[in-house]
Amino acid sequence: MSTPLIGVSKSILKIKELINHVANTCLNVLITGETGVGKEVVAQNLYAESARNTQNFVKINCAALPETLLESELYGYEKGAFTGAHKKRPGKFQTADKGVLFLDEIGDMPMALQSKMLHVLQSGEFSPLGSDHEFKTDVWVIAATNHNLEKSIAQKTFREDLFYRLNIIKIEIPPLRERKEDIPSLIEYYFRLYSSEYPNNNGSKPGSDILEKLCNYPWPGNVRQLQNCIKKQMILNSWEKILEELPKDQIQIPVAPQFETSYQSQQHGINNAFPTDRTSIISQFVDLSTSSDKLFEDISLKKIKKLASDRVEKEVIAFVLEKVGWNRSRAAKILKISYKTLLYKMDEFEVSPPR
Amino acid sequence: MTESNRLLIVDDNEDILSTFYEFFNSMGYEVKTAVDGFAALKLLRDKSNFFDCLITDLVMPNISGVGLISIVKKEYPHLKIIAMTGYGDQPGALASEAKADVVLFKPIDLFKIENTVSELINQEKEIQ
Ligand SMILES: Nc1ncnc2c1ncn2[C@@H]1O[C@H](COP(=O)(O)OP(=O)(O)OP(=O)(O)O)[C@@H](O)[C@H]1O
Ligand SMILES: [Mg+2]
Repeated sequence: MSTPLIGVSKSILKIKELINHVANTCLNVLITGETGVGKEVVAQNLYAESARNTQNFVKINCAALPETLLESELYGYEKGAFTGAHKKRPGKFQTADKGVLFLDEIGDMPMALQSKMLHVLQSGEFSPLGSDHEFKTDVWVIAATNHNLEKSIAQKTFREDLFYRLNIIKIEIPPLRERKEDIPSLIEYYFRLYSSEYPNNNGSKPGSDILEKLCNYPWPGNVRQLQNCIKKQMILNSWEKILEELPKDQIQIPVAPQFETSYQSQQHGINNAFPTDRTSIISQFVDLSTSSDKLFEDISLKKIKKLASDRVEKEVIAFVLEKVGWNRSRAAKILKISYKTLLYKMDEFEVSPPR
Repeated sequence: MTESNRLLIVDDNEDILSTFYEFFNSMGYEVKTAVDGFAALKLLRDKSNFFDCLITDLVMPNISGVGLISIVKKEYPHLKIIAMTGYGDQPGALASEAKADVVLFKPIDLFKIENTVSELINQEKEIQ
């Protein structure tokens, strides 16, 4: 049985309505949102409401498998297609026939496989590795990612043509901190569910004080993190303790003061005099606490340039929008970008008017 | 007096939407607007035989123009569709694949698009 999509916020209600209207269209869907926001839940709900719900729902995680394995999992192979292929094996495209193929973490799919995927979606045909036969596919493709694919396209890690082909229907799930109204109903639902799973638990529902604090926590891990807290509470029976243990201040390192310091130090001609200054700037964009092997892999000037310019762009966009009373057409003109680009950027940087 | 032609215009850019609305209104059309594919689909499902022609942008949140075109061509095949895009070739190609009657690239001359609209509608009327 699939999980119901719990929530009373405007955005969740709209997503439910959208699911209802598109579940029988078989058009490619792209679901986006941070980790743990419920992308898979939405995919399952699309499937459950469609006429395909008597067929298979087949999921494949494009981030979890190395390229060659992912390819053979998707398309299957003939006996002898490669060393170790002792007998023929059907791929996910075949198992999902007439049903749903859920491409999870599509943003992590290697480029070469993206090209192949594009070809399959365009032609509606695929052939297993080592086979010269083309099979017709009849799968409903639902893809999900926590990457911002527009950004990945700019960074040349995601094919633009594949993006447009998947993005026929786009379902964006906002992070939990932007729909706090959903928190009480999620707690209610999961409290009940876990209580029935573990009848001997010590849990209790949070009182109104605690509930308010829970609603105001930013939940970087979204619904999954909330679920974990509810589970833990059933053992500890202390919401106070749960609250205490929630990781704090990992969200938003203050930006402005650090930029200021480096600016000032340059003004005084003591460029690079303070290594701590330098690391504090760098640490805004890469995690310096990892091993240097990992660090050297993570550091790329191109990536950092993008991250740094994003930070500044975000501030400038918000600044101009505030100045013009959130008139987006005017702001676009002032910034000398197209209206669409502005909307994209506002979306990408999560710049929205105060409520 | 003949009945005026009915248009549904879809674009997530409010400026474009209001420009098109004013223009077609002044040309004697009855115009409804929607800010994305989902809003348009709800209007269409509500009044399925109301519109003669749909003019839609392609890159939009929730239901894209390409998605809207595919759904409309399947559910309301008589409805004429003009797709317009400012995003290079790919969305345009997808719109053709989804059987839009005409695909135009922005910026679009309003008089030209009005010509296209009336041609499409007259075509349909001659068939009937
Ligand atoms: N609206 C919701 N109603 C009920 N349960 C939810 C909802 N959203 C998320 N969940 C639950 O939270 C957990 C995480 O959700 P899910 O796996 O769908 O997230 P995700 O977006 O796919 O995350 P990731 O990016 O990490 O894969 C799941 O156990 C799911 O059932
Ligand atoms: Mg997931």
